[in-house]
Amino acid sequence: MTVGSVSNDELVQRFPGEPITHDNAAHYRGRLHRQLLVNRCDDCGVWHAPPKPVCPECWSSSVTATQVSGNGTIFMNVFLHQGPPAPGVDYSTPYPVVTVELDEQVGLRFTATVAEASNDQIQIGKRVRLDWRERSGSPMPVFVLAGDSE
Amino acid sequence: MSGPARRGMKDQVAIAGASTTGFVAHNLERTQASLAAEACIDVLRKCGLTAADVDGLCGSWPNVEIMQSTLGLPAITWSGNPVIPMVDHFATAAAAVHAGLCEVALVYHAAYRSAWNTSSSLKDPFRRIATPGLTDPHTGPETVAAAVGYTAWASRYMYEYGVTSEDFGLVAINGRTNAAHNPAAAMRDPMTMDDYLNSRMIRWPLRLLDMDVPVDGGDAFVITTTERARDLALPPVLINAAVLGQVQHNEEDQTVGLRHHGQQVVIDTLKRKSDFWIDDIDVYFPYDGFTPITLNWIDNAGWCKPGEAGDFLREHWDAATGRALISGHVPINPHGGSLSEGATQASGHVREAVHQLQGVAGDRQVPDARRALITAGGFFFNAQGLTLHRA
Repeated sequence: MTVGSVSNDELVQRFPGEPITHDNAAHYRGRLHRQLLVNRCDDCGVWHAPPKPVCPECWSSSVTATQVSGNGTIFMNVFLHQGPPAPGVDYSTPYPVVTVELDEQVGLRFTATVAEASNDQIQIGKRVRLDWRERSGSPMPVFVLAGDSE
Repeated sequence: MSGPARRGMKDQVAIAGASTTGFVAHNLERTQASLAAEACIDVLRKCGLTAADVDGLCGSWPNVEIMQSTLGLPAITWSGNPVIPMVDHFATAAAAVHAGLCEVALVYHAAYRSAWNTSSSLKDPFRRIATPGLTDPHTGPETVAAAVGYTAWASRYMYEYGVTSEDFGLVAINGRTNAAHNPAAAMRDPMTMDDYLNSRMIRWPLRLLDMDVPVDGGDAFVITTTERARDLALPPVLINAAVLGQVQHNEEDQTVGLRHHGQQVVIDTLKRKSDFWIDDIDVYFPYDGFTPITLNWIDNAGWCKPGEAGDFLREHWDAATGRALISGHVPINPHGGSLSEGATQASGHVREAVHQLQGVAGDRQVPDARRALITAGGFFFNAQGLTLHRA
């Protein structure tokens, strides 16, 4: 744990309901700084998600939560007509949830919602970039559609 | 019990190595998965084994899907999470090895100071979250884990193969037509494609009628030796092969692709271990907790090319009865499946297979049914297969 980072107790309070563990705490601390952190092996360089205590590829125990660009391509998409209660989520307009394949590595994916797009624009294959919104006073990663030029 | 003691496993299975992390009576800044992984990696290295050598996984906590993903085990054909104490795990893993369900079983356990064990554990916010029943997480909607997983992969299936909702609808209609002849089924009213398409959208692209129906009810089975079964009242149904298939990257959003998940392990293993395959069977039971699971089982089992399961159902559709009959005589989930009989997590599929092979399936009886294929479960960490036949 780095000096100046929030305590474990504060971290849990900042993200109520999130399944925070010793393995993924660094990822959530990154969210507080609006950084999307994904575990990467210090020895073999392979990225893996969700966070794991060892590298599943080479069994190194030296893994570091590392910032990703957040640029990627929509791999799967759903639109929730109903779902768990969440601040600011109104299912009267179906709520988009996408799994995005990140540019850092083939098969490395992150799941979030898409902000500021009409649902008919949210399609598999579309390019997205990372952005942040507030939920319950803490930053939440979201994707926004990237320009066609990307 | 009767007759001489059965000791078929005697001296047939061994423990090849054992490792420990050591134990401390204070809270480590680590997860249970971290502790289990350390011991697992150490024992495998001491035995000179790699991840690819392990095809069986058995432990207490964390569960096997977390441990397979953590250790990056490429493919396993058997796994189990028996209840503690641990002799259950050793006995079950040994039996699995002896029976040929797997060859190298990795058995693990991680002791962990739960929040209810000590006051210092209770003060650890992560241990409070990790202790079941205490402060269970309630995540927001930004996930495709659990029930949303098959919906997400349904979107991928439609995208990769250019198919529409009607392909999913055929699975639902087939189940409902069959359930009409099953007095045990919960949902027996006929269903049309319009009924299906007009059912409430729950999570696009899946509707209410794409999902199995929650029910109350039970199934039970007697399993014994074939020899003993021959002396009992009903015809024995023999287990020809069984597999619990699982691959690395088993989280819902990290699964590699529609052609690379637990179902491929199940199919490849059954083809290697079973004495019969799809051309030889009389009745087929693909799991149908969500309709896209069924289409993928049909694709992956090799009934048709990838993405063509909907066309396969259309090609083998019996218009007179409103259901699929493969080659005019092999029904698919003749009891109605989880979609219409009820969500039994495949106990209904196995029970109906047994009844069909025993010739006691009533109005649904397939004439002289001798061989059944059951492909149960989904993609991520519960794909399973069973071939059954009448003695």
